[in-house]
Amino acid sequence: MRHGKYPFVIGFLFAPVALYVTFVIWPYAQAFQISMTNWRGLSAPQWVGFDNYRRLLDDGAFWKAVQHHGVLLLALPLITIAIALFFSFLLNVGGRSSGGQRQGVWGAKFYRVVFFFPQVLAVAIIAVLFQMVYRPNESGLINGVLMKFGLEPILFLIKPNLALWSILAVLVWQAVGFYVVLFSAGMASIPGEIYEAAEMDGATKVTLFFRVTLPLLWDTLQVAWVYLGIAAFDCFAIVAVLSVDGGGPDGATTVLAMEIYRNAFVYSKYGYASAMGVALFFLTLTFAALTLRLTKRESVEY
Amino acid sequence: MHEPLYKTAFPKAEVKHQATQAVSTVLQPRFASGNPPEFVNNSGEKFLDFGALVNDGQLQDLTELWDAPSVDDPSKKVRDTIIPGVVEQGMFSTADGQRKPFVLYYVSTVYGIWYSGKLFKDNGWTAPTNFEQFKALCEQIKTKGITPYGYAGANAAYYQWNVILSQAAKIGGPDVLKNIDNLEDGAWKQDAVKQAAEAWAEIGAKYSDKSFEGLKHTDVQLRQNQGKVAFYPSGDWLENEQKKDTPAGFTYQLMPVPSLTASDKLPATAIRAAGGEGYFVSSKSKNPRGGMEYMRQMLSKAGARGFTETVGAATVVPAGSEGFQFPPGVASAQAALKAAGKDVFNMLFDNWYKELDTEARTATNELMFGRINADAFVERVQKRADAIKKDSSVIKFKR
Amino acid sequence: MNPQSTLPPPAALPPKTGDPSAPAGPGRKDPRSEVRLFAGLGHVALAVWAVIVIVPILWTVLAAFKNTSEIFSSPWTLPAELRWENFSRAWTKANVGRYFLNSVIVVSCSTFLTMLLGSMAAYVLARYRFWGNRAIYYLFVSGLAFPVFLALVPLFFVVKNLGLLDTHTGVVLVYTAYSLPFTVFFLAAFFKTLPSSVAEAGMIDGCSHSRLFFQVMMPMAKPGLISVAIFNIIGQWAQYQLPLVLLSNAKDKWVLTQGIADISVNAGYEADWSGLFAALTIAILPMIIVYAVFQRQIQAGLTSGAVK
Repeated sequence: MRHGKYPFVIGFLFAPVALYVTFVIWPYAQAFQISMTNWRGLSAPQWVGFDNYRRLLDDGAFWKAVQHHGVLLLALPLITIAIALFFSFLLNVGGRSSGGQRQGVWGAKFYRVVFFFPQVLAVAIIAVLFQMVYRPNESGLINGVLMKFGLEPILFLIKPNLALWSILAVLVWQAVGFYVVLFSAGMASIPGEIYEAAEMDGATKVTLFFRVTLPLLWDTLQVAWVYLGIAAFDCFAIVAVLSVDGGGPDGATTVLAMEIYRNAFVYSKYGYASAMGVALFFLTLTFAALTLRLTKRESVEY
Repeated sequence: MHEPLYKTAFPKAEVKHQATQAVSTVLQPRFASGNPPEFVNNSGEKFLDFGALVNDGQLQDLTELWDAPSVDDPSKKVRDTIIPGVVEQGMFSTADGQRKPFVLYYVSTVYGIWYSGKLFKDNGWTAPTNFEQFKALCEQIKTKGITPYGYAGANAAYYQWNVILSQAAKIGGPDVLKNIDNLEDGAWKQDAVKQAAEAWAEIGAKYSDKSFEGLKHTDVQLRQNQGKVAFYPSGDWLENEQKKDTPAGFTYQLMPVPSLTASDKLPATAIRAAGGEGYFVSSKSKNPRGGMEYMRQMLSKAGARGFTETVGAATVVPAGSEGFQFPPGVASAQAALKAAGKDVFNMLFDNWYKELDTEARTATNELMFGRINADAFVERVQKRADAIKKDSSVIKFKR
Repeated sequence: MNPQSTLPPPAALPPKTGDPSAPAGPGRKDPRSEVRLFAGLGHVALAVWAVIVIVPILWTVLAAFKNTSEIFSSPWTLPAELRWENFSRAWTKANVGRYFLNSVIVVSCSTFLTMLLGSMAAYVLARYRFWGNRAIYYLFVSGLAFPVFLALVPLFFVVKNLGLLDTHTGVVLVYTAYSLPFTVFFLAAFFKTLPSSVAEAGMIDGCSHSRLFFQVMMPMAKPGLISVAIFNIIGQWAQYQLPLVLLSNAKDKWVLTQGIADISVNAGYEADWSGLFAALTIAILPMIIVYAVFQRQIQAGLTSGAVK
């Protein structure tokens, strides 16, 4: 790979980089600049230095949002990956094994198709859907059943300590199918002989899972963790559409994206909103850097 | 609907009229880019911050419109053909401290508490005028298996702060609200506000339904139409909004917020009334004069009558409503307005300071659904009001 | 976190149950009953999750045939009659058909462009050493960490100044630009795994760099390209924030999510819930049918691409 390398490299990189810089990097750079002003979105901005950042420190809503990202960052990947791993193991290895040929449980194909459904739907649509599912009275999908049995309705989105988890459940609902497919693919690429050998040694399904599947799936798990971590930093559409009063009650479900949106498009405080955006950016960057560091390792060869 | 009128008057003119509910989401970028539409109905759930727009010189000074001759009677100025106080309501202070009319509030709006005339008649209930009666009636309603009172916490908490502050105005007089609008120190901590908050927190705790915090206004309104909720606070646009879902014979009726005690400063008939639906013309649009001419047509007798006939609501042009057979709800609102006489009050802080509106909504839900008490309620809203007062990037308004 | 330390050599898996040298017989746990119990519990769990997934979607479809009172008062009953007029209202009054077509146009163009530009950049960054390689790579990858709406207002000006506001071209370019970080990140990883022997053989045969890319590497990378394309289609199909700002004045150019959101917002005022559900159904069902038909390809694409 020697001849004419640079013209080729430049030729291939020019269009993507130009497009990317124009529509992504340049607007973001401007956003950093705006975060140092008191721009209200309309007239010329005035430079205020780090004032907006100083104000962030006293902003209760901001800290609530940061805290929620912390919860989501831990809970979303953990729950989603645990459920998805369990299902994909069942679907791929859970069934009878005949002559070392691993088989999924009966109907595995059907489940894999069905579980993936939510993934093809837009988040905005899912949020509208779950508004109905969670409705706090007899017209809700869940509470309708509960109240038929004479039980008290569950106030999913209203109880401050339940609301965030209700939203998290929707995120998990949507994500599981994708990761089932992802992990299934990973499991399918684990050579059958390994299972065969293990089963000859008398390993139970549980042992198989913990000693064979899990370690060999480590790479895929990390990919999953990165995706879900990034998803945990967004959550705007779901919170904006699903939660009570845009991140409520009283900020119990708010996320940074929601606060940025509120400050920018409701209060017209573009400068302050941008400062929040910059803070969010550094949080995500820290997460990405940590993850990249942790994933930078040799892969298992088999 | 006024476009035909405008077109008749000016066949070649083209006015970009933006009708959307999510005004700020759709229009903010256009103002930022200097390409705003001529004529905007800035109302709905996500309206643009008038204060910010004024501050940036985006709004056309409407003095010319108000002084222009009326379409129907050229010897009269437009300002003299509408309900008094409406021009004043649309006045904002510019960055250099001048107060100018920028906004046309077009719809006559009366705020109160709604009930079904049929439901009340069937049960022999009458609209309460004081809190004792109100609570006693709520007890009775409760035994019928009907939720006595409710508003939608998910997106309409401002209907409830409106009730609390209307109550405060009745207790302490209209100046209570003026102090709040003017961001006076301790305005939210005035006794009247605290008493009102206490009284309504009790209603929320005893006579409402916790699940309403998670419902949108259309949901609770539908429940009222279905006879599951007795009292619902809102403005007089409600009847028209619910037209499709209201069962025959429902007969919407509006009552003012009941008096708290006999020592209230304002009588039981006192009511909040104002112009609603703020329209403005963008000064930086291609044809601001076209936008103003459009407004002048709206304010003609024919324009107002057309609006009233289409939506069934009264405009701020009395001539347009004359002799019009309003549906029972609007008629009862108009009757209540008439009964109130001079005891009409209003508040403007939500249009002036969006942040304060948001905080008041959140705090209202906290109060009404029993998570904080009246003291904490006034405390936290006052805190936000103080912060806004101190924030130099926020333009302050006075009335 | 190194699995090599936790993974025993396959041949030396520690025997957990029974005696590995003894064949199945009395005294040893019957593997069949273990399988049956496990599969039985598993079936229950799987079936429950399938119900959790299907019921809300099914319910939406049912609600699309109801009227507003039925939707709110009896969520668990069937509609009294099939009210097709809900669909016609969604289709004509709310223009859902038009929005659907717009979404198809925009997403197919932008996915194609994303894949072309993304694979070009990823390939060069993955397989060529040159000054600035890492810098450009991280420039792309850092985009994964940006919250999109932070850039909305500045982005609006960029698009406007290029005269691309309210055009599908503008939206396609912006979608593409915002899909590049993900695309480059994964395709670069994928290109790295392709054997260099083929590439070297090609170079020795006198292949030009770009011929090597289009005729040798692209076909080899097909599984990865398909999977990333699927990710992009799903992501761009669901996009809402960007078209909202970039197409605000051209209602005839709106995409499906915008249309649904618009009906949803207006439903708050007009309470046309059945129309909203009909629109939702129109938005949901084709996606699910397309997925059900092509699920083998979609899953195969995901399989080879995302794991490595």
